[in-house]
Amino acid sequence: MGTEQAQSPEPQPKRKRFLGAFGAARDVMYGMASHDMSRYAIRTRASMEHLFILITMGDLLGVPILPPYYSLRLLPYVVPQVSTWKRRMLRERDITDTLG
Amino acid sequence: MGNTLVAIIIGVLAIYLGYRFYARRIDRTVIQADKKRATPARLYMDGVDFMPTNRNVLFGYHFKSIAAAGPIVGAITAAALWGWVPSLIWLVLGVMFMGWVSDYSAIVVSVRNEGNSLSATAHRLIHPRTRRLLLLFIFFYLLLIAGAFGNIVAGTLTDPRVPLGIVALAVLGLAAGHMLYRMKMDLIPVTLIVVGGTLLAIFLNASATGPVATTFKNFNTWLNDLRPGGIVTVLNPLNPAGKQSVPITISFVFWLFFLFGFCYLGAILPIWRYAQPVNYIGFWITGLTVVFAGLGAFLAFFIKHDLSTFNIAGFTHFGGPASIRASGQIQPLWPMLFVTIACGAISGWHALIGSVGTARQIENEEDMLPVGGGAMFGEFTLGLLSLLAIAVAAKPGATPVASFAQGIGDFLNIFRVPLTYGTALGFAAFVVIVITVVQLVFRLMRVTLAEGLGDRSPIFKNIHVGTLVSMAATFLLVISGTWIYIWQLFGAANQLMAALSLLVVTVWLASTRRNPLYAGIPAVFMYVTTMAADLVILYNLYKIVLVKQWGVAGHEIAVIGSLVTIIIGLILFVAALFIGWDGYRAFQRYRERPVEPAPAPGGVTA
Repeated sequence: MGTEQAQSPEPQPKRKRFLGAFGAARDVMYGMASHDMSRYAIRTRASMEHLFILITMGDLLGVPILPPYYSLRLLPYVVPQVSTWKRRMLRERDITDTLG
Repeated sequence: MGNTLVAIIIGVLAIYLGYRFYARRIDRTVIQADKKRATPARLYMDGVDFMPTNRNVLFGYHFKSIAAAGPIVGAITAAALWGWVPSLIWLVLGVMFMGWVSDYSAIVVSVRNEGNSLSATAHRLIHPRTRRLLLLFIFFYLLLIAGAFGNIVAGTLTDPRVPLGIVALAVLGLAAGHMLYRMKMDLIPVTLIVVGGTLLAIFLNASATGPVATTFKNFNTWLNDLRPGGIVTVLNPLNPAGKQSVPITISFVFWLFFLFGFCYLGAILPIWRYAQPVNYIGFWITGLTVVFAGLGAFLAFFIKHDLSTFNIAGFTHFGGPASIRASGQIQPLWPMLFVTIACGAISGWHALIGSVGTARQIENEEDMLPVGGGAMFGEFTLGLLSLLAIAVAAKPGATPVASFAQGIGDFLNIFRVPLTYGTALGFAAFVVIVITVVQLVFRLMRVTLAEGLGDRSPIFKNIHVGTLVSMAATFLLVISGTWIYIWQLFGAANQLMAALSLLVVTVWLASTRRNPLYAGIPAVFMYVTTMAADLVILYNLYKIVLVKQWGVAGHEIAVIGSLVTIIIGLILFVAALFIGWDGYRAFQRYRERPVEPAPAPGGVTA
């Protein structure tokens, strides 16, 4: 490695630059072609997971019909990211939000 | 006489100077982008809407979201009306001083306001009614997009060289959704199958004398023979005097309904099932075509010099070509050029997308300029390419879309792609880029109707009813026949949306004690220009379309359509007046009592 570097000090940064440019081009392509699809899939999965957890929470705890008070008290433990979920659910939305 | 190389050099210089010396300076001194300041994506990361994303990915995402038919149709229409010189000047100056400002600033305002949309920020900063007016504005804006784009797509599909590729796009779009999400196939083989299949269909239909095109031609003729006078007579103001009464043929209506069918699937099916796979295939078709055509336009000067020379007039007349002036309508360069070329220079659509989609994924503030501003400069190149294509390939009697496709074919021919196939790709790229936008627009109109009217009339919550009502309104606009005015009214609404977004930005800059001039001057210019353009369009619609056809037998639907268009234009004008007035008052209020302390002088970077 050291000998190679002594013989040709240039290739390493050049190669790094090339890989960097290739990586950037690949990212841009991904952004144009598939990023939107990935976001939609993530959004769908998140909604389904939240719904599933909330529906099955009572059964998971062995209490089929859980009183709302205890549901709300236990919610942060069942859904670890409850603060972000709450923010998502409570964020005021209008028609322009469907564009994003 | 211009040529492609000169125009490309001017374009590259505009991008370099505009980005390097103006945009960066504003980013550094006025906005003071700071990579250490937490963005909403990092602050509120939920892994879904708010998600820090790599700047290169986000650039691609933002560019794909904003790149639509606006820069293509606008450039080719304006070049035919006023010549290529004013079109090029507006594209260059527009993007350098206004276009990037609008895209970038919408993202900035959202990032600095917890990722809120522009309408939510307007609600908070300007007036509660501003939001309601903006939403009303947006519905009619969407209707105009559907009317303007729907007309041009249906007209293009009547060309027998075009339909098979679009039919394949619909079928393979459905297949791609099924293969990806139901059969769980890998993306690469699915891409090869569906993109390859669509390209094959495009090439099979490429030759005007081939069996497929002949079949479509015979089919169109058969349809038109059912009622030779068409279903209704309308007035086309772009035609020379005496030839302005034209029939809306049955074949045109058939392909319009085909478009509605295509978009109906996009509006009612789950996004993964149809709309997204169609967009994905469309990306490859348009992306490959645009990239190679752009390279061809550059190389044409060196390899085929005659191909790089412009064939259209540099400048026709301030009032448009002689035929337009003789017909009695008014098409003055100011303000009409500035609304005819919409998205390539500046666009309100970008601001809407940027504030709700892109801004919530910005990883650090230093990404705001390369993503927002950079993508807008990218869209400018799309407008420039369209202008070059029509400038080298325009022929008397050819429609602007046919000239555009021919120009793309010529540029691709530099790489030895046969002219027939290259032209077919030009047609396909154009239709695909428009049709993917129209299906999204119908989906949004359905949601808007459900949101706006669903509580009063629950029937609008039904997805089929909402979609069909949107399509019925669009149908009425399209068969009114005055495509040019609907296009210009769409352009006016689009540019007015940009002016209103810049107004929100200006008010925000004043509220935070920043210098508001870089956004305020474009806001005032675009506001005055688009309001004036709206009045010119209303005058033309009244004087040329309504008065001339009023009471004439067979023109009833055209009269109703133009009346509806006039009402839409008036609604947009009044809504913009209120928003402008409220914005002005808010600006004065914040200039006297800003809500935030002044930013540190000199910017955050040395």
